[in-house]
Amino acid sequence: MEAKLSKKGKREYGDNIAGFIMSSPALILLIAFLIIPIIYTVYYSFFTYQVVRPDNIKFNAFNNYVKLFKDANFYVALKNTIYFTVIVVPVQCILALILALMVSSKKKGVAVFRTLYYSPQITSMVIIAVLWTILYNSNANTGLINAFLKSIGLQPIDFLNNPKTAMNSIIFMSAWQGAGYQMMIFIAGLNAIPGEQYEAASVDGADWFAKLIYVTLPGLVNTIKYVLMITLIQAMKLFTQPYIMTKGGPRNATKTLVFYIYEQGFQKGNFGYACSIATVFFIIVVTLSIVVKRISRTN
Amino acid sequence: MKRVFKTLGVLALGSMLAACGNNAGATKQADTGSEGSTQASESKSAEGVANVTIWSPTDTAAIEAWWTEKIDQWNKENPDIQVKREAIDRADAYAYENKITTATTSGNLPDILYVDGPMVSYYAANGITVPLDSYFPADDLKDFMPSTVQADTYDGKLYAIAPTESSVALFYNKDYLDKAGIPYPSDTDIKQAWTWSQFLDNAKKLTTADYVGTNIIMDKGEGIIYALGQFFTEGGAQFVSDDGSKADGYINSDASVKTAEYLNEFIKNGYANLDPVKDEFLNGKAATLLGGSWNIADLEKSNLNWGVSYFPVADDGKAASPTGDWAAAITKDSKNPDAAGKFLQWAMNSDNIASYASAVAKPASRTSSYDKMEGWDSGARALMKWQLQNTGVSRPRTPSYSVLSTDFSTAMLNIFSGSNAKDELDNVAKNFDENYEMYYKK
Repeated sequence: MEAKLSKKGKREYGDNIAGFIMSSPALILLIAFLIIPIIYTVYYSFFTYQVVRPDNIKFNAFNNYVKLFKDANFYVALKNTIYFTVIVVPVQCILALILALMVSSKKKGVAVFRTLYYSPQITSMVIIAVLWTILYNSNANTGLINAFLKSIGLQPIDFLNNPKTAMNSIIFMSAWQGAGYQMMIFIAGLNAIPGEQYEAASVDGADWFAKLIYVTLPGLVNTIKYVLMITLIQAMKLFTQPYIMTKGGPRNATKTLVFYIYEQGFQKGNFGYACSIATVFFIIVVTLSIVVKRISRTN
Repeated sequence: MKRVFKTLGVLALGSMLAACGNNAGATKQADTGSEGSTQASESKSAEGVANVTIWSPTDTAAIEAWWTEKIDQWNKENPDIQVKREAIDRADAYAYENKITTATTSGNLPDILYVDGPMVSYYAANGITVPLDSYFPADDLKDFMPSTVQADTYDGKLYAIAPTESSVALFYNKDYLDKAGIPYPSDTDIKQAWTWSQFLDNAKKLTTADYVGTNIIMDKGEGIIYALGQFFTEGGAQFVSDDGSKADGYINSDASVKTAEYLNEFIKNGYANLDPVKDEFLNGKAATLLGGSWNIADLEKSNLNWGVSYFPVADDGKAASPTGDWAAAITKDSKNPDAAGKFLQWAMNSDNIASYASAVAKPASRTSSYDKMEGWDSGARALMKWQLQNTGVSRPRTPSYSVLSTDFSTAMLNIFSGSNAKDELDNVAKNFDENYEMYYKK
């Protein structure tokens, strides 16, 4: 009995070693490029640190944080980030679900549409942002959308230079760009729903809408949870679009937290301060992820 | 080892951002760090030979060819000083600066570093670059444009030396001016240049359903302070105090606010687009353009019926014009500053500047170089040269320049989209003073 146990223990120990060895490349990379940087970011958030003067770092305790919580720009960036997330997550997920429902059938030619809807995903966000900047241009001679508005007799809209429309314009293009990815996940989820359930529903006389409500959506619950989670975290990290399209303007309307971190750290050289914003941002995202995970688990 | 940790610190935020998503800028930051470290091991090889490494942004084919030719020539003639250049890509506006930042923290800067004119003070104040006065004595500097020397000097010492300059003038579409019955402004007598009132009035007259009166937005970053900054000088304002330490009472003075409001008249009334399309003037979508020396070549190639006049002058006749270009500096990490200095003396001599400026099609920073360059004695180029010699003013010189430039362009864009000018400029002053106080106050 005893011998047996120790043999088993030995094997488990051996398994553990093998496990560590096999996961070490990933672990080492994670530690080097994620864990250590996070620790350093938190560490430097307590210092006055001008980016090119590492020889002149001064400990300032909580000064950066005190300044941060009084910084109007921080709250603007936080507000913009939340606004973007709250709008873009449902819009993008519903759009993705509709697209998935449309292209998941086995009709001929549907694969073409699937590829088309997914194609914005394989293009770099930078390129898409540049393209949409041109589409949104206020001048009807160049901006395609405004050329269309003009042709049907409407006034041109200055999409990206009006604080009221800038963020919504970014939300629209982001949802358009991102939906293809979530659509693919939804398609996988839809394919996992057993065909028998639909057959049974048909026998019971359910129309397509009833099938959607009573078969498709319940079958997709786990997929929806997952999609919501990743979209949420991705949305919080909005940077490329405002960086390329609006530079955070007009009047700070599209300044997001990540953009603000970049602006403070790399454009203005306030490295310690940028680290403190990054730390707060990190805490917000982690907290949010935990909360969302808890909520979806209890459901 | 300490350095390794410092570098890690810079990388830390970068990778944290990178870990946070598809952040092009930050990932680039992380990449350049590793490139920087291979750099260091190369600079101290064979004994008795001083190795000099140069970093400058990747340039046009003509300039890349100039570099190859000149460095080959130098290396052949000077076996004891071997020069090597690395062309650094400027994928976006700040990628090059980010690379310098990373190299600074890890002590891997090259011997010679090309920096943008207004950043000279920043690098000097932070001890990244060293004075060049011993290589370029005052007598030599007399041949350089006043604005070049002004831009490259910090705290009374020369910290960089620029081979080329830039200037901005008013280009106009002759056909559109004819149509509106506006006489052409002069290109030979600045007293006949458009004043602020004439510029605004003519822009109004020139605006039609098909094209706007003028184009004053070069880009939404550095282009704002570069092209529009000299209106502030003409309006009697100053960005910061003479020693570059204070912005409150300068950038937000009454004269500044008035200038900002004047410029907003163009945008507010639709005489100029806040988002001009590319080549708006070239394509006949704007009647006039505040354009740079770099626009001349394209205009000459086009079928456009165009003319050029001076950068608009204030109503009281006060004239200024934008200037500035990239300049070479020697860094703190250079093992052979004297060798680097010798090379710079040679690279910046009158002949080499003439061939460099011709290759890049920019105005030379040395007056004597123009004798060896073709096409600079008439037309738009002669006007640019005249402006450089007579009305050119450098951008504000202060170690907190990047904060000033970033916040100023944000403020101007906000003013252009309806914010109160005084509030916006107050904010610029506040952020600037805070930054200066935190890092540079003695």
